[in-house]
Amino acid sequence: MSGRGGALALKRKRPGSDGPMKELDTDENNIYNLIKSKGDTGIWKGDIRRELNITNTKIIDNCVKSLQSKQMIKEVSNVQAKGKKRLMAMEFEPSKELTGGVWYREGLLDDELIKLLKRLCLKKLTKMKVATADGMRHEIKMSGGFNYDFTVEEVKEVLDNLVLEKEITRVKSNGLREFAMFPINADCYKLKSKQTETGAFSLIPCGICPRINHCAPDGIISPVSCVYYTKWLEF
Amino acid sequence: MAMLTQHGIKLAVHIITTDFGNLVSKVCECLLRRGTLSKALISRFTDLPQDKVKKSLWVLIQHNCVQAFALEQEGVSGDTMVVTQYMALFNNIIHRLRFPKFMAIVSKDPCKEGLEILEGLLQHGRLTLTQILDRAQSNSNEGSRDTHRESFIKLLRSRFVERCPAAEPLIPLPTEAETSAKKGGGRSAGIARKEVTLEERALAVATPMDAERFSLTDYGVDSDEEENGSKRPVPKAGDKRKQDTLKWNSELDIMGGKKEPIWRVNSDEFINRLRIKACIEYAREEYDNVAAVILNSMLEGTKCTDSTVSMSLDSIFEEVIKSEEGITMNLERLRCSLEQLDFCSKIEDGYSVDLKDIIKKAQLKEVESIVKKRYGIEAFRMFRLLSNGRALDTDKVIMKCVVCIKGVAKEVSKPTYSSRHNKMERGINAVVKKKRDSFLGHDEMCDGRKFYKIQGHKVEARELVNSMKEKGGGAGEETMPSVFCPGMHCWKNDTGEPISDRTFVDKKTTPKILYMLWKDNFIEMEKVTTGGPRQTDFFLWRLKKDKLWHQVLDEMYHAALNLSLRYAHEVDQDREIVNVNKEIPEVKKRRDRLIKVRFLLDSSLMKLDDAVLLFHDFLSRNTPNS
Repeated sequence: MSGRGGALALKRKRPGSDGPMKELDTDENNIYNLIKSKGDTGIWKGDIRRELNITNTKIIDNCVKSLQSKQMIKEVSNVQAKGKKRLMAMEFEPSKELTGGVWYREGLLDDELIKLLKRLCLKKLTKMKVATADGMRHEIKMSGGFNYDFTVEEVKEVLDNLVLEKEITRVKSNGLREFAMFPINADCYKLKSKQTETGAFSLIPCGICPRINHCAPDGIISPVSCVYYTKWLEF
Repeated sequence: MAMLTQHGIKLAVHIITTDFGNLVSKVCECLLRRGTLSKALISRFTDLPQDKVKKSLWVLIQHNCVQAFALEQEGVSGDTMVVTQYMALFNNIIHRLRFPKFMAIVSKDPCKEGLEILEGLLQHGRLTLTQILDRAQSNSNEGSRDTHRESFIKLLRSRFVERCPAAEPLIPLPTEAETSAKKGGGRSAGIARKEVTLEERALAVATPMDAERFSLTDYGVDSDEEENGSKRPVPKAGDKRKQDTLKWNSELDIMGGKKEPIWRVNSDEFINRLRIKACIEYAREEYDNVAAVILNSMLEGTKCTDSTVSMSLDSIFEEVIKSEEGITMNLERLRCSLEQLDFCSKIEDGYSVDLKDIIKKAQLKEVESIVKKRYGIEAFRMFRLLSNGRALDTDKVIMKCVVCIKGVAKEVSKPTYSSRHNKMERGINAVVKKKRDSFLGHDEMCDGRKFYKIQGHKVEARELVNSMKEKGGGAGEETMPSVFCPGMHCWKNDTGEPISDRTFVDKKTTPKILYMLWKDNFIEMEKVTTGGPRQTDFFLWRLKKDKLWHQVLDEMYHAALNLSLRYAHEVDQDREIVNVNKEIPEVKKRRDRLIKVRFLLDSSLMKLDDAVLLFHDFLSRNTPNS
């Protein structure tokens, strides 16, 4: 291509692709290049100062403003650190680390989505008895309730969360009985056969009392005058 | 582990006060708080005259709450003298709460005819066989003396009853050989040998050998003891003391100390039965009835007394089908169920169950439920994440990563390492080369797998890096430490990224919950400052089970004390209505309420005591009273 139409190709520039670059001064150019080199993760202003050894923050501020006005860079909020907005070249989309991935919407944890998914997983597991993360992903997809196609890792995160809540358990398949259709040693998820009973201590007022450390037989807070006890023993 | 907590002592004192009054409880409290003491010292500390102290001690000894022992000591002039010491038996005092449980166990056992005898022993502490038989005969119209004797023998064979320990065993001065061995044992020997306290020694000496402990036949121990007593070296200056001792012994004789063997309830056996029951209940709650039936059969089949039970599949099957619930079981189903049990491991020729493992899991479950109720579901998720992680391997890595951050991160000067594997490995390799001491080593297996030795532990490189990348490897310039901190235990000051992500907790809420848990000592925090050009502070969160378990146990004792106090208060408040006409509606209402309140408080105390057993008795079953 360069052999046949080299001269023509040189003449046909993309509008605005090179133009603004020409107008950039050295600092702007350096900053732009650094931001661009960071790709979809972007960079925080403080880090620009450190990496380029620019002591005067005003220079950076001015350059950033100028680059923003030329629509060469954009400011992206970071879900990990809300105060540290990141600068990113226009052509990149913020990475999963910055947006928080599928579980975040506009920088906030999407509780509704997570709850919905959890409920769906529990419902499916009640029917299926045992499932792998991949199997569950398929079930979620088939349900058609979501526009987004969840990855196996994302489904696994939801299932692991249910394990943490003791709603389900994670077991290794041994290829027997209910695990016959799963490969041996595959990570499977199973509904807990019975909801675990609450511990004995947490069933009495003292188990959940925020003032237990201030409670004494002859103290201001005492088991004899305790309001939690009185309420508990109301019949 | 010294498990004598402040509220434990308060509860023990409350139990003694309720059962034996203030005087006895004063002596008991003195012993619990100050440790083993002589009669004279108890008298001094309690400001009570010696004869009152003596009588209180009699009561406590009679009810197995105190053990006496004669301690040989070196006098000022170099002579040896013998001083009788008294130690409180904390466990036995708390066991008094469990008497209804002990009765329930025997009532379900084949030797239930012995219930009457057991009741007598629980009421009176210790009795001779004659006393036991006399009491049984006078209390029940049925059965002859021989049948009661048979029942007693059954109880003895089931080990529910035991011969009382020696009334006052002699603890001699350590011999020269023992002293020199102790002094010149060297460091390694010192670590290997568990320090035995004086109290533990006394209890070990006092307890008869198993053959004698559970045998009706008189082994003539008492006569031996008399001989020992006569051989006991008593200094010339201690003539008066000798007379005291003899008088004391004769007083013990009145209680039946020497004439006839005396018997008491063997709490060890009951605790063992309760431990098995707790394990089976855990299996039922965590898995299903099938798991409970299997575990029950395994423990029944071996008459388990140890913490590990191993059986072949066939033997387990034989035991399972003996039970009513297991009759429909087949071998495949049994194998499948066994392999799904967390606490059951496959061994060469069968399966092995570790009861200690089950107890530890049950303890964790109890603490988790406290966290859930006190701090909510989000804290519960975080706590579970910190307590057992996703897998054991990950935990191992976490522990080592804490070391890594301190040691390695300081060594790697360039903070430009991203979470990419190859760069990470290069980084670690650089450190390994640089630092060739025992702190961090590097090993390559013949199959090409790389291991890093961190403080003597081996971690596979891939495992280490994967775990780091998966959980903590953030953005490129987040530098080494964030890569080194696996998300589960590392929480960055301003972001809270890893823990919140794993638990689906909002990033703003994460620090608040962690702070709450930390404030109440449920988790520990360690601030780690990394080296390099950019100093960053990291907070490592972790659970220190020993410390937390001790705190939880103390709170449980506190709660048990509160339940008992409230019970006493409720009964006291409604005392006036006991003798009032039941037909009056107001009185009837109050009476009904009191019945419900008593039932609720009583049953709650029994359930809470199950949890106390879990934390205090089941893992230190064979250790003497602390």
